[in-house]
Amino acid sequence: MTLFHFGNCFALAYFPYFITYKCSGLSEYNAFWRCVQAGATYLFVQLCKMLFLATFFPTWEGGVGAYDFVGEFMKATVDLADLLGLHLVMSRNAGKGEYKIMVAAMGWATAELVMSRCLPLWVGARGIEFDWKYIQMSFDSNISLVHYIATASVVWMFTRYDLPKSFRLPVTVLLALCVYKAFLMELFVHVFLLGSWTVLLVKAVLTGAISLCSLFLFVTLVHSN
Amino acid sequence: MFEEASEVFDNMFKSSFPFTFIVFIPAVLILVSPLPAEASHEFTVYRMQQYDLQGQPYGTRNAILNTEARTVEAEVLSRRCVIMRLADFSYDKYQKALRQSAGAVVIILPRNMSAMPQDIVQQFMELEPEMLATETIVPVYFAMEDDELLSIYTQTLTSSSSQGSLSAAEVLLHTATANGFQMVTSGAQSKAVSDWAITSLEGRLAGVGGEDLPTIVVVAHYDSFGVAPWLSYGADSNGSGVSMLLELARLFSKLYTYKRTHAAYNLLFFLSGGGKFNYQGTKRWLEDNLDHTVMCLKAAFVLCLDTLGNGDSLHLHVSKPPKEGTPQYSLLKELEAVVASQYPEVKFSMVHKKINLADDMLAWEHERFGIRRLPAFTLSHLPSHRLAQRSSIMDVRPHVDVKKLSRNTKLVAEALARVVYNLTEKGAPGDLQIFTEQMQVQDEQLSAVVDWLTAQPRAAQLVDKDSTVVSTLEYHLGRYLKDVKRHYVKADKRDPEFVFYDQLKQTMNAYRVKPAIFDLLLAVCIAAYLGMVYLAIQNFGVLYSVVRRITQPKAKAH
Repeated sequence: MTLFHFGNCFALAYFPYFITYKCSGLSEYNAFWRCVQAGATYLFVQLCKMLFLATFFPTWEGGVGAYDFVGEFMKATVDLADLLGLHLVMSRNAGKGEYKIMVAAMGWATAELVMSRCLPLWVGARGIEFDWKYIQMSFDSNISLVHYIATASVVWMFTRYDLPKSFRLPVTVLLALCVYKAFLMELFVHVFLLGSWTVLLVKAVLTGAISLCSLFLFVTLVHSN
Repeated sequence: MFEEASEVFDNMFKSSFPFTFIVFIPAVLILVSPLPAEASHEFTVYRMQQYDLQGQPYGTRNAILNTEARTVEAEVLSRRCVIMRLADFSYDKYQKALRQSAGAVVIILPRNMSAMPQDIVQQFMELEPEMLATETIVPVYFAMEDDELLSIYTQTLTSSSSQGSLSAAEVLLHTATANGFQMVTSGAQSKAVSDWAITSLEGRLAGVGGEDLPTIVVVAHYDSFGVAPWLSYGADSNGSGVSMLLELARLFSKLYTYKRTHAAYNLLFFLSGGGKFNYQGTKRWLEDNLDHTVMCLKAAFVLCLDTLGNGDSLHLHVSKPPKEGTPQYSLLKELEAVVASQYPEVKFSMVHKKINLADDMLAWEHERFGIRRLPAFTLSHLPSHRLAQRSSIMDVRPHVDVKKLSRNTKLVAEALARVVYNLTEKGAPGDLQIFTEQMQVQDEQLSAVVDWLTAQPRAAQLVDKDSTVVSTLEYHLGRYLKDVKRHYVKADKRDPEFVFYDQLKQTMNAYRVKPAIFDLLLAVCIAAYLGMVYLAIQNFGVLYSVVRRITQPKAKAH
């Protein structure tokens, strides 16, 4: 509700990204420009997705309360393009697995932060009116960071040629969960009519579970040789 | 990282020139763009009157407001906007707010005025003139209540009344959970309206036989008054007078169309504007028409109709008791006769009040005519001109009882007819009823006119010469009368008799705000959270080795 509040929300959103960048050792590899390139790829992929959605999906003409499950499911399927984009970024970067994953995830998540959260924060959090949603938005961006790291690692694992047969299924399941997480969240909200803080909590728990599973799989894969 | 960032920017600058601008222009535009505001609630508010009459200022002097909301129970009221509900309103609380130099006062009125208990309505009615007479520099607004406004009020009430009695820890907790409200109006400061024209309408029915016929003038002022111009509907005062005048015009024009019933009196009907502001319309009409119309056509008498929509008594207010043998005297006698024989339940009396030129405002409209030595009286169901019902926002449609209005209309019509046709001299009995069957007073017509008049506020500041009220009244008069003319009053430039001000209706926004200490509290919490995040990321290696140890035994076991 003032510039101070905007500063609070911005710090809450941006600081974890900064810390992650510093502490993951990416700065030693001069990865800044590569992260920017990953961010540009994010923009390109979002543009293509929007064009695709606008062209091929009709507008929803139902009532206000009804929820078009099938339609939203189809729209969520388009998010597979995100995975393609991440794969593209990672394949262009030479280096160890962790380096690729971190570069792709950092660039992608930072681009998402700048594009979808900075503007609402700047415009809304500076106004006279106070709303809790800006703090929630900033928390959400933290959760997105973890989510994109998990997604990038799952995509990397999926494309490994030396992935053991027994891992194929869990990796595919995790991949599907990552893509449809947003859809699942909307479903929960609609069915259980959750409040905004509860939604955030559920999202955090879900992302935590996905990332923990992907961490397990990653460690097993990397250290099984 | 910043070195790398600067490298990137260097590359960008060295590359083609226009692209760098494309990057920077949106950033600059965003920085300088004005803040769009989203209010938690937006509602219309109506300002208290602001006008100068004969150089004397009345009402509130200010229109802008941008202050935090409080209720009267709060300890500190200065520079805050005090919100009050009508149900809890009292003059002491109002005075208290003004004494503590509050920033503004907003009074919330219930949507359904008639559901309020009568004593509160009566009390408020009596307070209105006092509120206007008090010198008020701060803006005073009235708002109609709805659910959101009521919730804003209750939240402000709980936070205001608990202010002084809490410990520091409770206050801290309170700031985190409570909502404050900032009230902001969107308009500009009020200023005087120049060249405002008050319109009056006249129409006539010519009598039969010659040029030198006596004229009877029937007058009613059509504007209304209240503490807030946009809320003054003036049902009884003077919507009832206007509808009675229109009905009389209709009846007499019907009588005058037939040769047999065409009488030897000219009838002049006058709807005056600015009546509540010391009868400005009538005053200017008399000044302008001094040498012709009224003076040279012998005025038998002038009958002013003011507030006749209710009550079981009728008072004929005069400034000089009528002398025997004058037409004025005969109207008085006819009225008494009709009441006595046809309407015994009505209490009729004559009230004599001398014109006091030293007063700021004249009492009744007939006094304007009396000053010009024309015989005039005012008929009203109110015994005194000082009653608050004549100038209150509480005077809404339910205050008019159409049956009583219709009875009064018939009474006046019968009495006028007896004078015009000289019936008593011709020996007609007292209970002869002229206006029956097809000449009946039409209740639906009366009711429709009163409904239409009370559907919009008719304060003199809101009715200008292009307003629908004036044009509809003109049309109505034109249906029954000939020579319908408009007459305009504009205030004199150098020494204005009346000055009106604008910004009478505004949109007020209520923004939810948190106190400054909340921001600091939030900053401390965020710093703690970020500290935890930093520690977590620094020690990520620990989690990694834990997971590795969990998965290792499976591999080692092979």
